[in-house]
Amino acid sequence: MKIKVDIDLCQGHSVCLGEAPEVFDVVDVDDGYPRVKVLQANPPEELRAKVERAAKYCPNSVITILED
Amino acid sequence: MADATIAEKNLPPKVSGAKPDMGHMEEFSENFARFLMRANAECGELAEFNMAGQETVLMSGAEAQEAFLKTLDKKLSRAAAYQATVPVFGKGVIFDAPPDRMKTQLKIQVDALRYQKMKNYTTIINKEVQDWIADWGDEGELDFLDEFLQLTLHTATHCLLGPDFRYKLTEEFKQLYHALEAGLQAIAFVDPYMQQPVFEARDKALVRLQELISEIIAERRKNSDKEYGDALETFMAGTYADGSLLSDTEITGLVIATMFAGHHTSSGTATWILAELARQPGYSDEILAELQEIFKDDAEITLESLREIPKLEAFIEEVLRLHPPLVLLMRRVIEDIDYKGTLIESGKTVAISTYGSHRNPDYFPDPETFDPTRGKPDNLYAYIPFGGGPHKCAGNAFALMQLKAIIAALLPLYSFELVDPADSYQDDLSAMVLKPTGPCRLRYKKRQ
Repeated sequence: MKIKVDIDLCQGHSVCLGEAPEVFDVVDVDDGYPRVKVLQANPPEELRAKVERAAKYCPNSVITILED
Repeated sequence: MADATIAEKNLPPKVSGAKPDMGHMEEFSENFARFLMRANAECGELAEFNMAGQETVLMSGAEAQEAFLKTLDKKLSRAAAYQATVPVFGKGVIFDAPPDRMKTQLKIQVDALRYQKMKNYTTIINKEVQDWIADWGDEGELDFLDEFLQLTLHTATHCLLGPDFRYKLTEEFKQLYHALEAGLQAIAFVDPYMQQPVFEARDKALVRLQELISEIIAERRKNSDKEYGDALETFMAGTYADGSLLSDTEITGLVIATMFAGHHTSSGTATWILAELARQPGYSDEILAELQEIFKDDAEITLESLREIPKLEAFIEEVLRLHPPLVLLMRRVIEDIDYKGTLIESGKTVAISTYGSHRNPDYFPDPETFDPTRGKPDNLYAYIPFGGGPHKCAGNAFALMQLKAIIAALLPLYSFELVDPADSYQDDLSAMVLKPTGPCRLRYKKRQ
């Protein structure tokens, strides 16, 4: 699977970080809200459940999972 | 003719029925949701109307709403459209701050809504709900419009300012807050600095609230190693790019701004959820069964246990579709905008209507029917109870958590019935924040 984020929608709520810290971090940026940082754009299959939860519970629908 | 060389500019079509001077103000004030739907039906995607001299362009449909929501502040300004908030939040706060400071303040506001804090807020909200229902007895009748205003005032002060403030100062805070609220009525959007008793009361209330919160800040700065887990703690720790802290006035302003964003919107929605549950016993039973399964063996209400409650979530989404708390979102045009060949000139106001968008049959067939099974449309800009794009309501996760926490605590313990005829529970479309027409009386009975 491959992870796509629409960074403009991110407000740094950090739900993804809570669900899948192996894959997502939230970092301060110079301008405005903290933003998600994808640590692994192609995470291994065993993290699928966590990544799916991160995508599903993101309050701003920032994360999309694409299949390879 | 010489003029023929100048290309004719398309301007947005104008809504009929404007009166001299006041334009459409009267019709708008009477029932603005209905007026906006008429404007859209008559003119289509762009509809220009006149609000006591302010030319306002309603943008309708998912495509136009996307353009509105994605355009950044420097072209479509929230600050210019919401200047009435300045004497309510205080000088130098949010819409009165220079753009970079405003961004930092909004970032610090969101910091107070992040995952770790939310866990603590969930515990607080559950405690407030338990205290609220402690003396309900086996059955009774209440006006839930009023009840939820009280409950969410308690949860908001508790999460924002901590238990000391909540239990010692709620009564005084309530008076001050009401004075500030009264200062944000429609006339304030024309001129918030007029000589008016309500505005004098507003200014006095702000000064007193700044005093109260400054005292707490000073006290806390003396005991800097203590942890509080509330939003004030985050607001006090936040810094600007140069490392400086927010002033007491700015912190107070953030507290007030957060109250205004979250209080009426949450209480109105909570009231509508309970009223719709009472009106739809079939769905209510399904949600009860779902809650009993999730919270079996006395599982506690926590951020984790509330995370996935699909039937309740779909029900709340449908309530937010038919009864979106903010009916109208506004921006001021700072640079001319070309929308698909039509010119929207700087100085005009642009607006989108959540209420109208959520009743668009292209996305919501048979829109007036309450149907929690219909699902959200794929287009992110057709269903916009929290707005969308870069300025989407940052409190949306908090709001949904609070609503789920309330219902997860109430519904397994009590059943709810309408007191008045089912069709008498209607939207009150005269206020800026949507709620049911009061009183919203429901009868509750303890389950066996």
